[in-house]
Amino acid sequence: MKRLVLVRREQPLRGGQPLSFLIGLVVALLAGILLLVASGHNPIEIYERLFNSSVGSSNAWAKTLNRAVPLGLAGLAVAVAGSMGLWNIGAEGQILAGAMMAAWIAQIGEGWASPLLIPLMLIASILGGALLASGPGIARAQIGVNEIITTLMLNEVALRLLQWLIHGPWKDPESRGFPLAPLLADEARLPKLFGRAHWGVIIAFLVIAFFGFIVSRTTWGYELKVAGSSGATARYAGISLNKKIITVMVLSGGIAGLAGGIELSGTSDRIVEGVSGGYGFAGIIVAALALMRPSGVAAVALIFGAVQVGGLSIQTLGVSSSVSTILQALILFGAIGAGVFNRYSLKSVKREKKGGST
Amino acid sequence: MNEASMIGMLSTTVSFGALLYLACIGELISEKAGVLNLGVEGMMALGAVTGFLVALNTENPWLALLVAMIVTAAFASIHGIFTVVLGAEQVVSGLSLTFLGLGLSAFFGKSAVGNPPGAILSNVDWGPLSDIPWVGPILFQQSPMVYFAILVGLLTSFLLTRTSIGLALRGAGESASTVDTAGYSVVKIRLAAVATGGALAGAAGAYLTLSITTSWQDGATAGRGWIAVALVIFGAWKPGRAAIGALLFGGLLALKTRLQTFGVNFSPILLSMIPYLLTIGVLLIISIRARHRPSASPSEIGKVYRREER
Amino acid sequence: MTSDSPLAIELVDIWKRFPGVVANAGATLSVKKGTIHAVLGENGAGKSTLMNILSGVYRPDEGQVRINGEQHWFHSPSDALASGIGMVHQEFRLVPSFTVAENIVLGASEKIIRRSFIEKEVEQIAQQFGLAIDPTRPVWQLSMGERQRVEILKTLWRKAQILILDEPTAVLTPAEADELGNVLRKIAEDGRTVVFISHKLHEVTAFCDEATVLRGGKTVASSLKVEEVNESDLAGLMVGSSPMISERPPYQEPGEAMLTIEGLGTLDDRFLPAVKNLNLTIKSGEIVGIAGVSGNGQREMAQAIAGLRPITSGKVTISGKDLTNAPPSERFTAGLGYVPEDRLGVGLAPRLTVTENAILRSYKNLRKSIFLVSEQAVNYCKEIIERFGVRTGPIDEPIAGLSGGNLQRLLVGRELSGNPKVVLAAQPTRGLDIQGVKAIQDLLIDERTEGAAVLLISEDLDELLTLSDRLLVMHEGEIVKEFDPTTAHRHDIGAAMAGKRDES
Repeated sequence: MKRLVLVRREQPLRGGQPLSFLIGLVVALLAGILLLVASGHNPIEIYERLFNSSVGSSNAWAKTLNRAVPLGLAGLAVAVAGSMGLWNIGAEGQILAGAMMAAWIAQIGEGWASPLLIPLMLIASILGGALLASGPGIARAQIGVNEIITTLMLNEVALRLLQWLIHGPWKDPESRGFPLAPLLADEARLPKLFGRAHWGVIIAFLVIAFFGFIVSRTTWGYELKVAGSSGATARYAGISLNKKIITVMVLSGGIAGLAGGIELSGTSDRIVEGVSGGYGFAGIIVAALALMRPSGVAAVALIFGAVQVGGLSIQTLGVSSSVSTILQALILFGAIGAGVFNRYSLKSVKREKKGGST
Repeated sequence: MNEASMIGMLSTTVSFGALLYLACIGELISEKAGVLNLGVEGMMALGAVTGFLVALNTENPWLALLVAMIVTAAFASIHGIFTVVLGAEQVVSGLSLTFLGLGLSAFFGKSAVGNPPGAILSNVDWGPLSDIPWVGPILFQQSPMVYFAILVGLLTSFLLTRTSIGLALRGAGESASTVDTAGYSVVKIRLAAVATGGALAGAAGAYLTLSITTSWQDGATAGRGWIAVALVIFGAWKPGRAAIGALLFGGLLALKTRLQTFGVNFSPILLSMIPYLLTIGVLLIISIRARHRPSASPSEIGKVYRREER
Repeated sequence: MTSDSPLAIELVDIWKRFPGVVANAGATLSVKKGTIHAVLGENGAGKSTLMNILSGVYRPDEGQVRINGEQHWFHSPSDALASGIGMVHQEFRLVPSFTVAENIVLGASEKIIRRSFIEKEVEQIAQQFGLAIDPTRPVWQLSMGERQRVEILKTLWRKAQILILDEPTAVLTPAEADELGNVLRKIAEDGRTVVFISHKLHEVTAFCDEATVLRGGKTVASSLKVEEVNESDLAGLMVGSSPMISERPPYQEPGEAMLTIEGLGTLDDRFLPAVKNLNLTIKSGEIVGIAGVSGNGQREMAQAIAGLRPITSGKVTISGKDLTNAPPSERFTAGLGYVPEDRLGVGLAPRLTVTENAILRSYKNLRKSIFLVSEQAVNYCKEIIERFGVRTGPIDEPIAGLSGGNLQRLLVGRELSGNPKVVLAAQPTRGLDIQGVKAIQDLLIDERTEGAAVLLISEDLDELLTLSDRLLVMHEGEIVKEFDPTTAHRHDIGAAMAGKRDES
């Protein structure tokens, strides 16, 4: 009798991850077709709209790029922490913290000119995210508290803080019934790059490239990788783990905070509860698909951005926008499934008979 | 603050608490076996929409509950297979499960938004017991799911401490190689634990749409899945303590909308932060203690178990 | 127990091969019922493999396993357990957060656990065999000796008729070891059979009835009556002689002291003293070998010298510089190369690439301000690979795929690339094939020729005898004897390793 076992490969397949990602993408799209057919929609029509609205025109590209910004930065935040083996699940909250700080500066700086206001807002947003992530970082370094839970919980805390601000101190007296924060002044908004796309696209790209460079080319990045590989090896090499953990978490939070600041300043009229839009969690998936490497984050973020934009537009065809959420999840599962074959190969092994000898 | 509104609040505390508790126990079982499942929010949503849709079509609330539990168990098994068998990262797989669950539930539930329920699980009639002042309305005029939750809690506690399978499950989460040597299949135990966690999260979701809100809309779970995850930690992975936590968190939820009526001038939003801050506090305490004794959290969480070649 | 007792265990002509090594080459074992039987041999002699076959962990390639006269084929430990064989491993299989009772009952036939009932039963059995233990205590609180009792109780609970203990006294204090002897006596008197794998000769003579000696995968002496042999004979049988690999390097006059250790003391992972008041000097141009049964403090001493384990007392000086409190990186710069026992875990990082591993100790010198100059790093790595003959795939790939020998070459090469004054090598040739062993040994000899001071810790006595200029024996954290490797007798070395104090 034979049975299948997974046997570890000696060396993982080269170029395996981008291939797995593509396979995941294909699998997701195919599954999407099934889903649409099952619910009585015309998959061809829907997919056509999906593609056109996300990458079919320069207007579409503008929307996709805008979406890719918070996805990419959140993905980078998670990837930076991830390359050291730390999980930042709090990107969602850190984005909110960043947006809050930016909104606050916008309010204080009423009347200030853009070249002054916007950079200040962005710097504040970095600080906001960094601050929120510092607690979990310190707790992990000094006490060994699992950062997964602490960052996760702070998401909810940050959300409620924002809700409180909108319902309370920041409530626009003009808004009756439904509380709203005040409108952002024109000076507080990031200027446009082309069409709808805003300058945040350039900023995000530069930040991702910068960190990609740092992680792969500097001694700091090298130490990060060693620390992520094994604490004992790190100590052997003379690397201070505690300092690294805190630094990385703070940086990670800062990057996520920046995403919040850019998202507020680039695409929003005012700060709202939903400014983090699930980007924090999506960022984790993006980072995972990019294998925690900054170099892959940009590409994955773009594709996810396209999927999200497409998802919104098919609503007018009577399909729930949740299709994009489903697709994002399926891409990941598909990629993981395909990725298994990078590390393991399937072998058929004979069940041993009684008698002892092989 | 009058008696009626106090009773109402306590009654709501129990029903919300039961909701959180059901999902929490499911996650507790999964984590005890060594598998972190961050997909609770998605599983709950799926259970909620499934329960609602089946009730719409069959007008049988019990069938709806059963189907919801089975569907969510199967759904959770996706996470189980990917993490336990294929060795994927538990955090990433779990979050994707949440995405998938929330997405699928919004997708399939679209047609049911705004519909009145096809059937509901109405409160159990305990006869004269429900007429006892105070205790009556609070404990004896509740949905059958509340009693189900209590039962599940008691069963789980018994299972974990007094049965060999419970022992093996706890062992799988603390020292997988020991359990393997003892002759058990770590993979099977973990898969079963994850599926059970899914079923209970689905039950919690169905409870939501069949008893509490008796309606469906996108986002019905409103973050309660995350509270359930927090609750497991707050209860230090013990069903008894988690029950207390469930009542506490449920009470805070119930209090949220009633602060005004009680004349308290505290922001209900800030109130709702408390469960999460408390959970962080408990985790800090657990971790500080863990420097001198084994941590309360199952040591094998996040690790993939692969038996060495013979 | 007379020699007419029936045979509880018969292992006939057992062969077991693993990739690259033959662990058992026709080994045999005959154990009489109701006796305590010792299985002796050095590391690598094949004892553990043979016992793993008896307990169902491995399947023999050839040969027969007979229990009470009947042939058995064990496919898993559960099969062996079902036939009444229980094994107590060196590394305990216990769940630390469970109580004693819970650990005993895990995997046994009980479905419902009635706590008080089980606890009473456990206490009864414990009493019967002299294994005092509180069944309600959580295992993490227990000492090693107490944990071992739990492991023994596990087998007794499952009504094992044959108990196998793998190096049981390795983790015990001498007093606990005596107690264990009493326990085993009681178990044997109860009609059960005990198999006792060991190095420690005085324990074997203290409470075993018969002994079988393994060497090189074969049985060299079978069922010797312990009362009729002495420890030196046993030691001699254990160490024997085997073909040497490298040649003894020619004599050279050692230079000045490079590594000086005074009064070193350190604790092990359980906070018990591992090294006690150790004094050691190694001069430039000599290889000093440390022989000893593993677990006598060698590992901890090496870690303390390398700076990875805190020192409770003493001083470490390298080439005149006091480095007692220096971090590992400083010691590397001061001229200490360390090849740790733990290759893939401390020495090398498996998920990093070959290049990244190669620069682990010296990356701070390969940079321009904050940038790691990748060209320099690659060159550095290539130099090491060439100079030390490391065979790898592309050097920007993770090292996980490299063979053991090449991993070790990489590790040793990296440590030697700094042209160290002192080389500390712990088990450098363990697990390597013939070529790998020769390569590493040659590297160490070259270092010696270049004037480095080499401290070689090894379980391979032949290796030590071939390479060392001086041979020290370590026992229970101290250096107990020094030998001249060119004239020493193996018996005497073996005896010193086994803890026999010099009587003359």
